[in-house]
Amino acid sequence: MGILTVLWEKWVEFRRDFYKITVAAMISPLMYLIIFGMGIQTTSHGEPYLHFLIPGIVAMATMTGSFSAIAQNMSVQRLYEKALDQVMVSPTPLWQFILGQVIGGSLRGLYAGGVILLLTLPIRTDLVFNGLSIFIMFLNGTVFSTIALTLSFLAKSYTDAPRFTAYIITPMSFLCNTFFSTDQMPAGFRQVISMLPLSQASAMIRGIANGEAPEAFGFIVLFAYLAVFGAISVVFIYKKKNL
Amino acid sequence: MIEIKGLTKRFGDFTAVDHLDLTINTGEFFGLLGPNGAGKTTTISMMSTVLLPSEGQILVDGQVLDRKASAQKRKLSVITQEYSMRQDMTMDEVMEYQGRLYYMPKKVIKEKTAELLEFAGLTEFRKRTVRHLSGGMKRKLMICRALMIEPEILLLDEPTAGMDALSRRQMWNLLRQVNGRNMTIVLTTHYIEEAQALCDRVALINRGKLQKLDSPDALISELGAFAVDETTENGLVTKYFHQRQEAIDYLTAAGSQASFRATTLEDVFVECAGRKLGQS
Repeated sequence: MGILTVLWEKWVEFRRDFYKITVAAMISPLMYLIIFGMGIQTTSHGEPYLHFLIPGIVAMATMTGSFSAIAQNMSVQRLYEKALDQVMVSPTPLWQFILGQVIGGSLRGLYAGGVILLLTLPIRTDLVFNGLSIFIMFLNGTVFSTIALTLSFLAKSYTDAPRFTAYIITPMSFLCNTFFSTDQMPAGFRQVISMLPLSQASAMIRGIANGEAPEAFGFIVLFAYLAVFGAISVVFIYKKKNL
Repeated sequence: MIEIKGLTKRFGDFTAVDHLDLTINTGEFFGLLGPNGAGKTTTISMMSTVLLPSEGQILVDGQVLDRKASAQKRKLSVITQEYSMRQDMTMDEVMEYQGRLYYMPKKVIKEKTAELLEFAGLTEFRKRTVRHLSGGMKRKLMICRALMIEPEILLLDEPTAGMDALSRRQMWNLLRQVNGRNMTIVLTTHYIEEAQALCDRVALINRGKLQKLDSPDALISELGAFAVDETTENGLVTKYFHQRQEAIDYLTAAGSQASFRATTLEDVFVECAGRKLGQS
């Protein structure tokens, strides 16, 4: 029930800011597709680079969509609007509030990824996006929603949200299997980068797009992040002394 | 009944609330008074579980109040000092969100929203987002939101701050009405006359510690029910008297630079808080 309340709140927000959310979800990925995929025409492993790029951009869009939907919103609600107080004092179980935020954030990520898929439809690539791809996009969104929740509970000021994006989301966007394969990175660094959630989400979505089965290891990494950051978020909302 | 036992809140080295013990009876209108930084808002924040105590506990009807205590929290509603609302929601959405958080049926949410917004004179603004409301309107909306769920306990942190005199009087009448329905009300306010007019008992706190606890009349009697304000070289000095005749005698001796009046709760507050601040 509490989950539905949070999803309703997210829906109100989405309905009101539909155009802003949609345009924001499109701009950066579209630029990357145009510049790297179409402007600088090149190939990767004998295939047009666009075939490599599109699955990575889709994974990246789910990450940024989910993260920004939660990080900015929760930081403002907690520190500026104080609207979180309304939830804290209510009888809605706080774990349901967290779960609602995670699902809501993930749906926003899924929407952002879906917009990119729609935009790339006219490009005939023969890439495959199926139900499993959608599930991985959703799972990737849940991971970044929980990371965003954790960081928004740690934020000291609502202006911290853009800093989190600069410190976490931007480096991951460029390093984690979006624009080039992590296989090309130096040993050591490669292993670290490949353990990051976006690297695994990109690899799995790209694998499916090319007709391959995703590796179980990718799911393990994503579920591990989800479990750790989900648990931290729940502990914070129940135990943090000064919310 | 609310029982506050040894309630303490520290922020680093600073102790905002220091081993506070209070019992607030069911249906009581209880005031929490103190100078700025006395710990009033921190106490209310702990009573609404937004802050967790460093020590001590709060019991509602004998059960510990914490963030997991949904049954206890169901009885509570809070009006915070700040406008704690989503700024981008309309009034209708703010009310619906509150109703949903308290598991109210949608039909009841609609009915109560219409009734409360009408009562507060906000109906014509119901589609306006919070961001575009005046301070007074936001305050009224917070009150509507708090009353929407018909709480057993209403926590009010400076509920009339920013309201004009007429709206404040309307608010007093409303609070008297809801208190008449056996609703327990805990009020913090800077308007001492508000506490004197409304509260059955008041607690004066300073630096997080309880200084005095009694009914406004008893606190005034303790200080002296009659006051003489005298203008001296050192400014305005007030003397308090238990007997009217004593005050009149003093007034007569003081001459034209003095005036006679009844002692108010504000005098008690100034004496208590002023003395403590003076000591610091």
